[in-house]
Amino acid sequence: MPLHCRLKNIKKGKPVPTVTIDGRKVRVKKDATVLDAANKADIWIPTLCYHPALSPDAACRLCMVELDRGEWRQLITACNYPVRKDIVVYVSSERAKMARRGVMELLLARAPESEELKALAARIGVKETRYPTVTESQRNCILCGLCVKVCEEIIGQSAIGFTGRGVERTVAAPFRQPSEDCIGCGACVAVCPVGTIKMRIHKSEQEVEISPFKSRVKLLVCEECGEPVVSMQVNERVLGMVKGNIEDFLKHWRLCPKCRRSRTAARFQEVTGCEKD
Amino acid sequence: MISIPVKLKKPADIEAFAHSLKNPEHTPARIVRVCIGTGCAAKGSRKLYELFLEAAKEHGENIRIEAKCVGCHGFCERGPIVVIEPGEIFYQQVEEPDVAEIFRETVLGGKILDRLLYEDAGTEKKARTEMEIPFYKVQHRIVLAGNGRIDPTKITDYIAEGGYSAIAKVLSSMTPEEVIKEIEVAGLRGRGGGGFPTARKWRSCREADGLPKYVICNGDEGDPGAFMDRSIMEGNPHSVIEGMLIGAYAIGSEHGYMYVRNEYPLAIEHLKTAISQAREMGLLGQNILNSSFSFDIRINRGGGAFVCGESTALMASLEGCTGEPRAKYVHTVESGLRGKPTNLNNVETWANVPQIINRGGKWFAGIGTEKSKGTKVFSLVGKVLNTGLVEVPMGLTLRRIIDEIGGGMRDGKRFKAVQTGGPSGGCIPSENLDTRVDFEELTQLGSMMGSGGMIVMDEDTCMVRVARYFTEFLQKESCGKCTPCREGISQMLYILDRITDAEGQVGDIERLEELAELLEGTALCALGKTAANPVISTIRYFRDEYDAHIRDRRCPAKECRGLFRYEIDEEACKACGICLKNCPVNAITGEKKVPHVIDQDKCTLCGMCWEKCPFTAVLKI
Repeated sequence: MPLHCRLKNIKKGKPVPTVTIDGRKVRVKKDATVLDAANKADIWIPTLCYHPALSPDAACRLCMVELDRGEWRQLITACNYPVRKDIVVYVSSERAKMARRGVMELLLARAPESEELKALAARIGVKETRYPTVTESQRNCILCGLCVKVCEEIIGQSAIGFTGRGVERTVAAPFRQPSEDCIGCGACVAVCPVGTIKMRIHKSEQEVEISPFKSRVKLLVCEECGEPVVSMQVNERVLGMVKGNIEDFLKHWRLCPKCRRSRTAARFQEVTGCEKD
Repeated sequence: MISIPVKLKKPADIEAFAHSLKNPEHTPARIVRVCIGTGCAAKGSRKLYELFLEAAKEHGENIRIEAKCVGCHGFCERGPIVVIEPGEIFYQQVEEPDVAEIFRETVLGGKILDRLLYEDAGTEKKARTEMEIPFYKVQHRIVLAGNGRIDPTKITDYIAEGGYSAIAKVLSSMTPEEVIKEIEVAGLRGRGGGGFPTARKWRSCREADGLPKYVICNGDEGDPGAFMDRSIMEGNPHSVIEGMLIGAYAIGSEHGYMYVRNEYPLAIEHLKTAISQAREMGLLGQNILNSSFSFDIRINRGGGAFVCGESTALMASLEGCTGEPRAKYVHTVESGLRGKPTNLNNVETWANVPQIINRGGKWFAGIGTEKSKGTKVFSLVGKVLNTGLVEVPMGLTLRRIIDEIGGGMRDGKRFKAVQTGGPSGGCIPSENLDTRVDFEELTQLGSMMGSGGMIVMDEDTCMVRVARYFTEFLQKESCGKCTPCREGISQMLYILDRITDAEGQVGDIERLEELAELLEGTALCALGKTAANPVISTIRYFRDEYDAHIRDRRCPAKECRGLFRYEIDEEACKACGICLKNCPVNAITGEKKVPHVIDQDKCTLCGMCWEKCPFTAVLKI
């Protein structure tokens, strides 16, 4: 169950708690996360499996920060720790930094070729990993789960999911076959923080492929210039969502944005009699 | 099988019913109790039970004889166990041919068969009853009291022994708050491993907003070598149900779940029977004993994932999702199963509850140490003489458990360490054997109470291999959700493999320690957070063994292949030629009357000569 639903059951308390992050004080709404507070305080915390549009899972463990519990300090994940009272956290304490670097080293061993990950690693002070890298078949996916989540929570397709357990865990479409549920929207491509999921356009077949899941979907091709525009299924779905009189629009929907602009311009000219600049 | 004659309509009915069950007219004069716990059943006790049943039937009228199957006695090492009433005569290692003789001589004739009695290895004294056996003498059985006495498939047996009187007491004379107070006075702490105060958990759940509330019994016992909960569920399922009833009443819940791993088929069968019998008698369901309290229990079987013993993963599994843990920053007593207040306790915790209500919190608090009250059930396994299920008061020393109950080490070997707490626990060396069994003391030693596994190891056990074993177990059982657990344990295993394969590198110990610290601080759930304990505790107490592996390329326990060599003792060798014939690489040379010699360059360390030598002349060096 998403965290925001689980939190509904929690008793009302003090409405606006104060979070002290590395000495900076910010006030956030009750049940906001430590990450929200850090954002408000303009303090950067590295994240990988977090996306503002999705429920937090705290799976990558990169956003570790230290929470002051009075007598002791506890490492917590900023992305899903709910602020329910005044708290004090440390983002740049030595222990928090070391924890984040340790996690990053393990992640680098998984995705040694990802430029995105290397850049993030460098930003938190990790140059390289001391650990041996994982086998090739599992390489370059850090299993953050954003692709799985976006496909389920936002797109509503659940075309991909986790398979296997523990070290065998991978993201795949059912039976590792091209998925029939994939609509080729590319949301997974957009959220993948390490650039492992890619969208490939097969022009000759007029298809889009979501790699590495091998799912292929037919593309809508511009009727004027022949350039691919968007996946057929995404197009259908979007059209289904539009309400009201769209007859006029439907005349233009098989055009790529460029051709649509020029046709609109031509019509404008026709109606007004104005010449183009 | 006695059919259930009544539906109980008010709390007082239970006592009256128990009284009627004890009527001498109904009770047989002789009872043969056959253990059908999994251990004894594996040695064929089911068949014994059937034979006794047949014999009793054939015998007929004059004396009423009952053959009865009962739950685990705990002394699994000596199974199958058969106890004859009256006299509580304790026969061990009973086999099929013994049945006729036992029936004729003991059951009918009242004579004792000496050869089936337990004989103490040291004093050679024969023990007639359980209480004369040192294995039982030191124990204090509260939770296991009914095991070995009652037939787990008959609710009447449980009621006759005073069962369901606690729920009657609760419903007739106690408010929920009074129940929680009683548990608080008892000082009962969670027996699943964490040791969290049960009363505090109940109260938080009671006070949490949201309906319905759930109570869960965690029967997903998965630690290697642990079988405490299984034996309770198999041997006395009603005690768990009664505990849950009382808890549900105190918390204000109407829905209970029992999550039992599917690898425990007998436990599931007995629980199912128990639940349906309790329902029939009006002890589960709507308006129990005509009160306003309603409660029912559903059994869910676990698919065998170790991580599902973790509360949030268990709840995810109950919801029908993948059994993966989630963050516990919001406690499950506030938002657990389906986002509702949920109280989860372990089997043993639940089974303690009826006893506390019946005998009072003060009585329970009188047993144990300052912070750990009552008793704890352990499954004592490994290289001790007497393995089995034991229940001891908190505060007993490890030494007494191993020496007195366990009967000391097997084969005269030297004690090396005892592993407690399962894969999340650690190894405790001989210098700490006088530690008292107590939540805090075990934690201080770098181990933990855990759910109660206790594995005793002798001098032939390589501690690096022990650490490697548990690390491999956890690597296989990690759900893979969070990075440190999935990747970190694998990296630890990689290093441990290297060390035990004679390829350890200087700095490996430090690398392990660093990974351990990372896991402890950053993993999502308790499985990951404690995964490094076996490694850390063995490094703490047996660092020299790690050093020997890495620096000297030597395994002191001579368990790691490649870290010791085989040699033939010239004096012991009788030059029989057996090793020579069996060596697959012809590395052994020798003639008649000339002691044989192993060519170390050719030897592949397969160990064949060591296994085959009839004179133990092949040595590991």
